[in-house]
Amino acid sequence: MIQYIDINKRYGDKVLFKDYNLEIKSGEKILLSASSGSGKTTLIRFLLGFDKPDSGDIVVDDMKLNHHNLKGIREKIAYVSQDTDLPSLTTEALLEKIFSYKVNHHIKDYREKFLALSKTFQLDDQVLSTQIQEFSGGERQRIGLIIALLLNRPYLLLDEITSGLDHDLKALIMKHIIDLDATVIIVSHDALWKSESSLREVNL
Amino acid sequence: METSNMYMLFFLVLPVFLFNIHYGIKMNVQIAIAIFRMIIQLSLIGLVLQWLFDMNTPIVNVIYIILMMTIASYSMLKTTKLSIKTFGLHIWLAVFIPHFLVLLFFNYFIVDLTDIFDAQHLIPIGGMLLGNSLSGNILAINTFYKQIKDGEKTYYYNLSLSASRSEALKPYFVHALKSSISPTIASIETIGLVSLPGMMTGQILGGSIPITAIKYQIAIMIAIFTTRYLTAVLAIYLTRSKAFDNYDRLKPHVIGNS
Repeated sequence: MIQYIDINKRYGDKVLFKDYNLEIKSGEKILLSASSGSGKTTLIRFLLGFDKPDSGDIVVDDMKLNHHNLKGIREKIAYVSQDTDLPSLTTEALLEKIFSYKVNHHIKDYREKFLALSKTFQLDDQVLSTQIQEFSGGERQRIGLIIALLLNRPYLLLDEITSGLDHDLKALIMKHIIDLDATVIIVSHDALWKSESSLREVNL
Repeated sequence: METSNMYMLFFLVLPVFLFNIHYGIKMNVQIAIAIFRMIIQLSLIGLVLQWLFDMNTPIVNVIYIILMMTIASYSMLKTTKLSIKTFGLHIWLAVFIPHFLVLLFFNYFIVDLTDIFDAQHLIPIGGMLLGNSLSGNILAINTFYKQIKDGEKTYYYNLSLSASRSEALKPYFVHALKSSISPTIASIETIGLVSLPGMMTGQILGGSIPITAIKYQIAIMIAIFTTRYLTAVLAIYLTRSKAFDNYDRLKPHVIGNS
């Protein structure tokens, strides 16, 4: 369960959150669909400790986020960022690096799983040997999503992951995500996500 | 070279002044001041060195070397715009430890001195090591922190994948170290072909036979390389501990204000 409790945050003169509260139950799928600049990405950054609220608490599975348990909380979360900021490597080298991190080292069959999922999400056969920068935005989003899925973590944060995709692919990815066991926070403006009834839509 | 012959240098620089007047390049005052400063600085250093060499007391020699290191550290902090209050000691240690160890190793094992604190070796070799690692260290620190600042999102993405801070920083560290040492590798490769190094020239002019000058040059190049490498490694390692907050975020204003 994720709780945002009495969150306040301002940037200069702009008040982004004032006594904001939100609770996300385990297994729930949330759609954050407010207009841009309203702090959707900031909510996600709070959860990962990339940004701190001015006051208020963030609680994940009854752990209040602070520097002692930040690492533990990050280990529960898989994140796909808006611009899919993947480093400039081949996909293969990137996977090797990610799964060499101590925390992810136990996942051994990532290569096979990656290939299987990249087939599902209609990526090219050459995906592993291609440099990340050579992919289109939409392809990078899918690679980021596959990596997040491979990490197999209980919380999934997906920031605008379908913005560059055509309708059929969007629908395919949406279905895949809705069928997951994980707790998912989706940030999107897309009408397709809004039409999905199993998502709880949250306006900031 | 007699001191009286030095006056002839005026005629060596005179054409530059005349051409500047001719072309309307208004730099003569600046050039004159620079030359004047150089003469004063070097004369003073000459007096100090003469005094140090005459005394040749180990403790004074070491104090002088430490002073040189402190000035070099200060200059690194200035150029990289790292806060002196936060990082002063870290940078000083990053300079002091490798320089001092390499110097003593060099004097004891390579030059085979009985007095490893001998002024005639300690001070010029120390100066050469310092002068050469200065630029490398600035390059390493700047590259390291600037990359993280500019590529903050990629760094955060790696943290979100549960990279530990050192795992997430490793690619930046490797890149910074490479950019710091590659100019030295290039100069090692081309030395003697493109230019004769200053120390070798000096020794030959001072009366050493070329083979002696070359032995020293090889030794000093390797010493410079190692010192530069170790100083860069230590500078990044030591400053790193204070450059990030407890959420692993690079603190604002660690480097420059751009």
